[in-house]
Amino acid sequence: MKVASLLIAAAALAAQPRYEILIKGGRVIDPANNIDGVRDVAVANGKIARVAANIAPSEAKTVVDAAGLYVTPGLIDLHAHVFGYSGSIRPDDTALPAGTTTIVDAGGSGWRTFDDMLERVIKPAKTRVLALINIVGHGMIGQSYEDNVEDMDPAKTAAKIAERRQHIVGIKTAHFGGYGWAALDAAIAAGKISNTPVMVDDKIFTGTGRTSKEKLLQRMRPGDMHTHVFNDRQLEVVDRMTGKLQPYILDARKRGVRFDLGHGGGSFLWPVAAKAIEQGFYPDTISTDLHSSSIMGPESDMPNCISKMMSLGMSLNDAVLRSTVNPAKAIAMFPDIGTLGEGRVADVAVFALRDGIFAYKDAWNNKQIGANKIEPVLTLRAGELVFDRDARAFPEWRKVAR
Amino acid sequence: MKLGVALALITTSLAGQEVFDVLLKNGRVVDPKNQRDGRMDIGISKGRIRKIAASIPSVQARKVLELGDYIVAPGLIDLNANFGPNGVDPDHNELRACTTTAVDAGSADPSSFASFKARVIDRSKTRVLVFLSPGANADAAATVARANPQIVAGFRATGGAPLPAALSEWTAFGDGPGLRPGDIQTRFYREGGTPEAARGVIHDLGHGSDGFRFRVAAPAVKQGRLPDTISTGLDARSVMLPRVSMTNVMTKMMALGVPLAGVIERATSAPARALRRSDLGSLEEGGVADIAVLETRAGNFGLLDAGREKHIADREVRCVMTLRNGTIVWDAEGLGVTHWRDAGPYSNFK
Repeated sequence: MKVASLLIAAAALAAQPRYEILIKGGRVIDPANNIDGVRDVAVANGKIARVAANIAPSEAKTVVDAAGLYVTPGLIDLHAHVFGYSGSIRPDDTALPAGTTTIVDAGGSGWRTFDDMLERVIKPAKTRVLALINIVGHGMIGQSYEDNVEDMDPAKTAAKIAERRQHIVGIKTAHFGGYGWAALDAAIAAGKISNTPVMVDDKIFTGTGRTSKEKLLQRMRPGDMHTHVFNDRQLEVVDRMTGKLQPYILDARKRGVRFDLGHGGGSFLWPVAAKAIEQGFYPDTISTDLHSSSIMGPESDMPNCISKMMSLGMSLNDAVLRSTVNPAKAIAMFPDIGTLGEGRVADVAVFALRDGIFAYKDAWNNKQIGANKIEPVLTLRAGELVFDRDARAFPEWRKVAR
Repeated sequence: MKLGVALALITTSLAGQEVFDVLLKNGRVVDPKNQRDGRMDIGISKGRIRKIAASIPSVQARKVLELGDYIVAPGLIDLNANFGPNGVDPDHNELRACTTTAVDAGSADPSSFASFKARVIDRSKTRVLVFLSPGANADAAATVARANPQIVAGFRATGGAPLPAALSEWTAFGDGPGLRPGDIQTRFYREGGTPEAARGVIHDLGHGSDGFRFRVAAPAVKQGRLPDTISTGLDARSVMLPRVSMTNVMTKMMALGVPLAGVIERATSAPARALRRSDLGSLEEGGVADIAVLETRAGNFGLLDAGREKHIADREVRCVMTLRNGTIVWDAEGLGVTHWRDAGPYSNFK
């Protein structure tokens, strides 16, 4: 009796493939599990079900041929703009076709406006949208708001984080034009109460009293991050006269302060990046600062930023690490995201690595010529196929039974 | 003395010639309305095309773009897109596909037009026109259309109902019957095929989430049944899968056997005619410099239709560069920019 029911169950299993999607034959790069080799990746119920050398196609409803392609965890963009800021973009059609499955909105909302963002942006999006909320209660809606020290309330900011902890991963302070350290100190105070990191974009040093980059970094805690690392003025990673890495940058890194790319429309310059990388200084996390103008000029989505890093000598594996594991760790989401470990959410990106001649533009619209390009081919978000450039997961129309 | 004469001759040969902001050099110019198809140079100044000629000297331009590998066409016109709440942002979806003019198909009605104009039209580099949804009050709709003749291209007709009499002077854009000659019927290759339309109705492709099936289109193209105009039907769904764009839809039509020139015509001069906009869709000396630089690339390209079925093409149309109003707004190959090592000092960075 028991044997018979087992046989029936086995027959049912054979008829019903156990995996929804099988990505077959791609080179899997999953730094978290030290995998760099050809593997099959099977997905069921929105999760990574199995990663193995050979999984039979008959076990999956849909098989995607990924031979010659790279399979990585869905990319995590630690710095993008999808709310509040006038240049905000929609997450789904910009992130998912770029292989980015998680976007962190960097300071678009504050404690006063986060719930609005939750309803209007986060809930409708297929992309996982997380938030670093602005220390400014109104969020990033213009200089006069962002300069208003009265609207920087660490307690209320921390309370909102506690209330929405699954969506809010930290705090952002940016663009403060007032005098002194009020904005940074308030953000760090909120970070201490909420036990979350602060992302800093301290833009204005003229007439603010904040003339020392060293002092700025010393105020930051281990785990706090400064974005726009390859801007020419903000951190001045590389001494503008000698071209050498600044000792204070290395000191801060040693202490655990993180440095984020945050490309954007003004913060990625070839000579700065080239000199820093030449001396072995890589950004901890690769992010886009994507908004409406940077998406058109420098085209700085995640694959573009990765290709740019590669043109300066970073390996693909290293770039993947800094686009998956590192950002996940920076917001204490690892290993929930950023890995293809079995049982984890099936956020998966498939890329082609093209050889050729490719122009990459920086924020000043000058180009570097690279020999490689990472091109997004297919994206899964929580196991759902959301982008498929070559229609690999679909049948040819002539072969469909009518 | 002799030298003096020669110098005078040299200086006079270019004397009085215009200096262009941008010179597009050596591209294969495909301009169906003017029956141009051949190597030509195009000089652009102050947002306008100033000269189209077999050869314009490079010295006459501040910036020279060598386009010998590419096709130079009028900026593409997308007759059917959605930029409302269930739609997409125009610029990074349209300009990146060489589309310089796109028509929103009914996201705005007379009561929401002002906010749509402020939020979408005025903030986009793409020229955004609208087929307005008529709303409940036809007179109010006519008032908005009359006040914005450069934006309102007609009215969205829903279902089979004709437009109210107060709107009869405008083009109707819809997908049902009841359209008049000069009106536009979209979703040409939908499942089940297009309903009968009156003679003279303009057929538009309108891909979107349900307007294009290979199993419908392939036999139709074989029988010579082609849409007059090619459009995307872009919305929040179709921008993801099958990720439609003007170049994607053009690639699909080429894959079914329509030659490149026919595809470009249906994406430029034909939609301009449907919009009754003689100022758009062609390359004219004195006309606005909305320009598409395209290339066709050989390979294997899986193309997905609205029914989630694919067709493998051996050639794709790709947008290399877009000029809108004479300005480079998309430059996939970095043709218009300098290498950073040759760019001089960066601010005070040495």
